[in-house]
Amino acid sequence: MNDHGTAALTTYRFDFTGRNGEYFRIWVVSLFLSVVTLGIYSAWGKVRKKRYLYSHTELDGTGFEFRAAPLAILRGRVIALALLGGFALSGHVLPIMQLLFIIILLVLTPWIVVAASRFNARNSAWRNITFGFDGGILEAAKVFLALGALAVLTLGLAYPYARMRRARFIIGHHCFGDTQMRADLATGGFFLAYLLATLMLIGTMVLFVAGMAGLVFASGAANRHQPSGMAALAPVAVLYVAYIAIYAFLRAHIGNLTLNGVVVGALRCRSTLRARDLVWLYLSNIVAILATLGLATAWVTIRMARYRARNLYLTGEAAPEAFAGTATGVSSATGSEVSDLFDVDVSL
Amino acid sequence: MTAFEGVLFAGVRAIGLPVQVETHDDLVLIATPAEAPRSIARDQIRADAPIPGVARLLRLPGGELIETHAYDAVAALWPPKDISARVAFAIESRWWAAITGLVLTAGAVWLIVAFVLPLAAEPVSRRISPTVEAFLGKRTLEFLDRTILKPSTLTEEETEELEEKYARFVEGEDARSYRLEFRHAGMPNALALPGGTIVVTDELVHATANDAEFLAVVAHEIGHVRGHHAMRLVLQDSGLAVLMTALAGDAVGTTILAAALPAVLLRTRYSRQFESEADDYAFAMLKRHGQSPQAFADLMRRLRLQLHAKEESGSLLQYLSTHPATEERIQRAEQQR
Repeated sequence: MNDHGTAALTTYRFDFTGRNGEYFRIWVVSLFLSVVTLGIYSAWGKVRKKRYLYSHTELDGTGFEFRAAPLAILRGRVIALALLGGFALSGHVLPIMQLLFIIILLVLTPWIVVAASRFNARNSAWRNITFGFDGGILEAAKVFLALGALAVLTLGLAYPYARMRRARFIIGHHCFGDTQMRADLATGGFFLAYLLATLMLIGTMVLFVAGMAGLVFASGAANRHQPSGMAALAPVAVLYVAYIAIYAFLRAHIGNLTLNGVVVGALRCRSTLRARDLVWLYLSNIVAILATLGLATAWVTIRMARYRARNLYLTGEAAPEAFAGTATGVSSATGSEVSDLFDVDVSL
Repeated sequence: MTAFEGVLFAGVRAIGLPVQVETHDDLVLIATPAEAPRSIARDQIRADAPIPGVARLLRLPGGELIETHAYDAVAALWPPKDISARVAFAIESRWWAAITGLVLTAGAVWLIVAFVLPLAAEPVSRRISPTVEAFLGKRTLEFLDRTILKPSTLTEEETEELEEKYARFVEGEDARSYRLEFRHAGMPNALALPGGTIVVTDELVHATANDAEFLAVVAHEIGHVRGHHAMRLVLQDSGLAVLMTALAGDAVGTTILAAALPAVLLRTRYSRQFESEADDYAFAMLKRHGQSPQAFADLMRRLRLQLHAKEESGSLLQYLSTHPATEERIQRAEQQR
């Protein structure tokens, strides 16, 4: 890894300086006051948590700023929660209604993506210069729905292309102050990453089936008992670990491909995520969260933020001081909250 | 007079300038190396809500921003107006307060799950119209028939005989119409669906040694129907889902896992409560009809033996099973005798 770049290029580092104890207390207070206020405080808690994480994510020594108003988030959260409640209840009452909900959510996806991106961008700032997002709903519909349908119709063959276009749409419509961002992405890398992941998946399945057959055969030869409960769970656990490994591989490679394509003015992103690091992080996160009944969530958030920040750089010939600011407007948090609760992927 | 240092971000370029801030009563003097000092009224400047470990931000009227680590000075000059910010900051700054909050959270969640949700679901379930409940029951049975239930293999005489006994047993019980259905399912079981349909599997009929045991099962299921247990479980489940989401809130990925495990355990708790309630109803009903709850205990004991013959080890899954510890239920039946 070359941190310094070539002679003409300067590297600006991202860093994360958040501390576990501090964030844990903010996280606990958010949880506690949310429960006490029947969920109303959760909007304020979310803003405080995000402000902590943003302010400790530093670029070139200055932290980022999250400026969203808690009331905007509360409004969005109420709408999102009503949708989720309806979704949960409809599953019990009429499964067909749940299908309807999914269709409505699907149709709303372009709007959710655009609204969430705009809200998050406008409420993120660095050195008092805000980000912006100017993607249109029609283009979002094309990228998310039309290309999504294409991916389904080609049985996933077109998925890497759709994924690339999605990243290009999200990145390309972002701006930092007056500077429009550019997505310098090629489809080839996406196809290669998904091809390798698919091969790994097939390999895992073959090994799993062979292993299971071997196990059943061996236990059948030894005695006529079924394998006991815990022994039967072991292969499932192995399979689960393998899935996480493949997931980590994809996250690392797609993450690097995407972030390395981000161009902001004269600066370009460099991302150095590694699959083996992510495998370890994901596995240990799950174990820690389960072992602490969720209390390790704060610790997980901090270590993931640290890992991501410390593997991200900006390189280029210009200094970030060259960026100029621009006027900002107000936007609704509904899209952002819906995307959070339903886990709609607007990430890069 | 208070004086502190900070960095000024004008918002025109991504540049921070070192800045000296001095306050004289209600006037704030701001001096940068490049410009002549300016003075701004203190109440024209807004400070963001304080968060432990986060640099303070002062917003000047024109959109400029000063970032400073002079926490004490900013706290004294611009005390947070927002009560929620004051409370949150006070707790967040102290370990003992945060831990107390955590303990109280656990207690509050337990209160909501154990008492508030069940208490709220009960009156709501009683207000659901019988038509809606009957409709839901019909849909559920259709679904079960498509998936795990098969038509009964009992002979017509057997069915008629059981239905006759059942009719005599529930006669004059109350105005509600219960309906008895037999199905083949591969294992002894009985279900109470919303709206009063009671499904008994062939295997359970075969497992009963006498009429008293069969009627004990029916009484237990009538207990479920009378208690609107199916509807209450749906309502409590939905409440639980909303609560878990509200708690996990902005959670994505791994945190969902952490929320799912307690949710499974809590659901189990609800089912167990309903089983106990239905048992109580069954014991009382059996006694009203001059039957002994001993029949219930006998049947439970036999079913347990059958189960143990199949699954020899006490597995984790068994521990998580929805029925309260069988031994406990048998003992309760025998105390009622």
